[in-house]
Amino acid sequence: MTDLLQHLQLGFSVVFSFQNLFLCLVGCLVGTLIGVLPGIGPLATIAILMPLTYSADPAGAIIMLAGIYYGAQYGGSTTAILVNMPGESSSVVTALDGHAMARQGRAGKALGIAAIGSFIAGSFATLVVAAVAIPLSRLALGLTAGNYFSLMLLGLTLAIVLGSGSLLKAFCMLLIGVTMALVGADQITGEARLTFGSQVLYDGFDMAVVAMGLFGIAEILRNLGASERQPFVDNVVGGLLPDKQDIKDSAGAIARGSLLGSIIGIIPGNGATLSSFASYVLEKKLSKHPETFGKGAIQGVAGPESANNAAAQTTFVPLLTLGLPSTATMALVGGAMTLHGVVPGPQVIDMHPELFWGVVTSMWLGNLMLVIINLPLIGVWVKFLKVPYHLLFPTIILLCCVGIYSVNSRPTDVLMVAGFGLAGYLLYRLKFDPTPLLLGLVLGGMLEDSLRRGLILSRGSFWTFVSDPLTLVLLGLSAVIVVSALSPSISRGRKVLSEDE
Amino acid sequence: MTHEAAEQQGREPVPPYARLEVIGGATMVAIAALIWFGAINLALGTLPNFGPGALPRVLAILLALAGAGVLIQGLVRPEAAFERFEFALRPTLVIMLAVVLFGLFIRGGNFGLLSTPQLGLCVVGPLTVFIAGCAAPQVNLRQLLVLAFGLTALMLLVFPDLLRLGIPPFPAILQNAIPPSLGRETALRIAYAGYGVLALILYLAFVRPDRRAA
Repeated sequence: MTDLLQHLQLGFSVVFSFQNLFLCLVGCLVGTLIGVLPGIGPLATIAILMPLTYSADPAGAIIMLAGIYYGAQYGGSTTAILVNMPGESSSVVTALDGHAMARQGRAGKALGIAAIGSFIAGSFATLVVAAVAIPLSRLALGLTAGNYFSLMLLGLTLAIVLGSGSLLKAFCMLLIGVTMALVGADQITGEARLTFGSQVLYDGFDMAVVAMGLFGIAEILRNLGASERQPFVDNVVGGLLPDKQDIKDSAGAIARGSLLGSIIGIIPGNGATLSSFASYVLEKKLSKHPETFGKGAIQGVAGPESANNAAAQTTFVPLLTLGLPSTATMALVGGAMTLHGVVPGPQVIDMHPELFWGVVTSMWLGNLMLVIINLPLIGVWVKFLKVPYHLLFPTIILLCCVGIYSVNSRPTDVLMVAGFGLAGYLLYRLKFDPTPLLLGLVLGGMLEDSLRRGLILSRGSFWTFVSDPLTLVLLGLSAVIVVSALSPSISRGRKVLSEDE
Repeated sequence: MTHEAAEQQGREPVPPYARLEVIGGATMVAIAALIWFGAINLALGTLPNFGPGALPRVLAILLALAGAGVLIQGLVRPEAAFERFEFALRPTLVIMLAVVLFGLFIRGGNFGLLSTPQLGLCVVGPLTVFIAGCAAPQVNLRQLLVLAFGLTALMLLVFPDLLRLGIPPFPAILQNAIPPSLGRETALRIAYAGYGVLALILYLAFVRPDRRAA
């Protein structure tokens, strides 16, 4: 316990430098700014804004990126509540009761309770992250290459199964992602692989380029393909502070949401979405008046918002302790860390303690900033919601171009963004979700490396490789998950989840 | 059965070649073939120490199998018969053009088939915004013009000046013509101040009267 306090103290000493506070603030603000725009979810926001963080030092960059993430998520909820256009699946549930409250003139209260719930859940989740980080990374340090390989396989399996859409298509995306990770110089021989003679591909695919194309530009093409729907925004937001009755009604929901979200977030897969759905269902079951749900029940906003915020935070756990990103967003964060020379994994906590604890405490600080800065600024965000889309998207296009060029000063990066934008849009029209592709791209190199090392150690015998007890258990678990996902009852559940999105 | 389903969906059945899953699956198989072709000259190695070509080939086979699975689903599953592959061509092409132009002319260079001069953010910025803006269903040219110059001014302020990121602001010819006594930084500041004022004038002349009228 005293250890924990000491670590948090170290973290705060890192965060409370002028530069890092400023980066956290800017991250939260621009994150909210882009996240609040209708149709642009947290993932697209991070993909678009990632280049902005490159000029900071590693700790500062990750702190800013985390700020962008929370800001984007918070902005997404604001849009969901005010205009019923959730930017991403984790705020779909919020839109149900949040928008109902807005139509009753209680939009301010919905926003207020969402912010307060998120803050409480965020504080709780920060403690969870701090508490489980050290034991988990100790555990991870003892793993062999074979263990690691099977652990990655398990994580990827979970991520695919808990995601939405067809399993087979998700598997295709994962395979392409892993293959893309292999493009470029071979880790051992340095030989050019799959470059088709192109000098540009020799350095491999840049995470930022792929993500900005697949999730940023593609998102715009997607919105343009749909007919332009000008969101109707009511000017009446109403009081922001919930009264005593509201607090009494939502206290339980916030507590349960925090706990639920923290647990679900650690498991690979789309934690934020899953936990908000789970929390909504739970609150409806526990409520004495389940009929009010969908008609402006404050618990229906407080629970899911707390849960998805807690989950958003604990999804950092697998990345920071095991080096395994479990969502596309974390894949981006992991990519940014690698770019700054900090390879995510169990060694981070010992080798870069100031970075690790700085990031953990900045999570809490980011949440605090969102409450104190964003609630008073709600009027400004409402104005942004009214910016017509036909002016908005050229702005984002230019921001993407300038941003990606400034990372490496390579014109070919911009051309590749265009290509991946087109690919992302076509994949969307073909109903392929590119999330597993990004996970594969981040993990591919590690996957090959641990497989190779594992096979060298076992002298090429697959049996020795597999017969290590932990490896066997992890591989078995993956197999069980795949089989159960194919079973009728669960695949129906997955279908419901993806249709609700 | 098919007739009922057709009524339910309110659409005609789609011929196999235009079905979503068929095209998706075929695309995956094609990508698998590309990967295989790309890995053909790489060493396979042995199991205890596999070479750079081993994993790509395994992945290509798996992808081909999975892609074929998607394709077969598209042919066999009754619901798949009603999912047509369609996409918005015009906005997609326009946006691609805007981004590609930015990439080709921001610094210029030799792109294999063509080499391009450097035009810098001052020229490419407004152009990108303007072309991208034309992808919208209804285009308001006057508003777009204001946005093009205003936004470029902002980008010039934030990226090269405040964040000090290396993005060429001027066309190559102009850049060399800047007198040393002026200095690049001052020239940059003059440029974005000028663009800002231009955007303001355009706004006052074009957009505000429109708003008043509305």
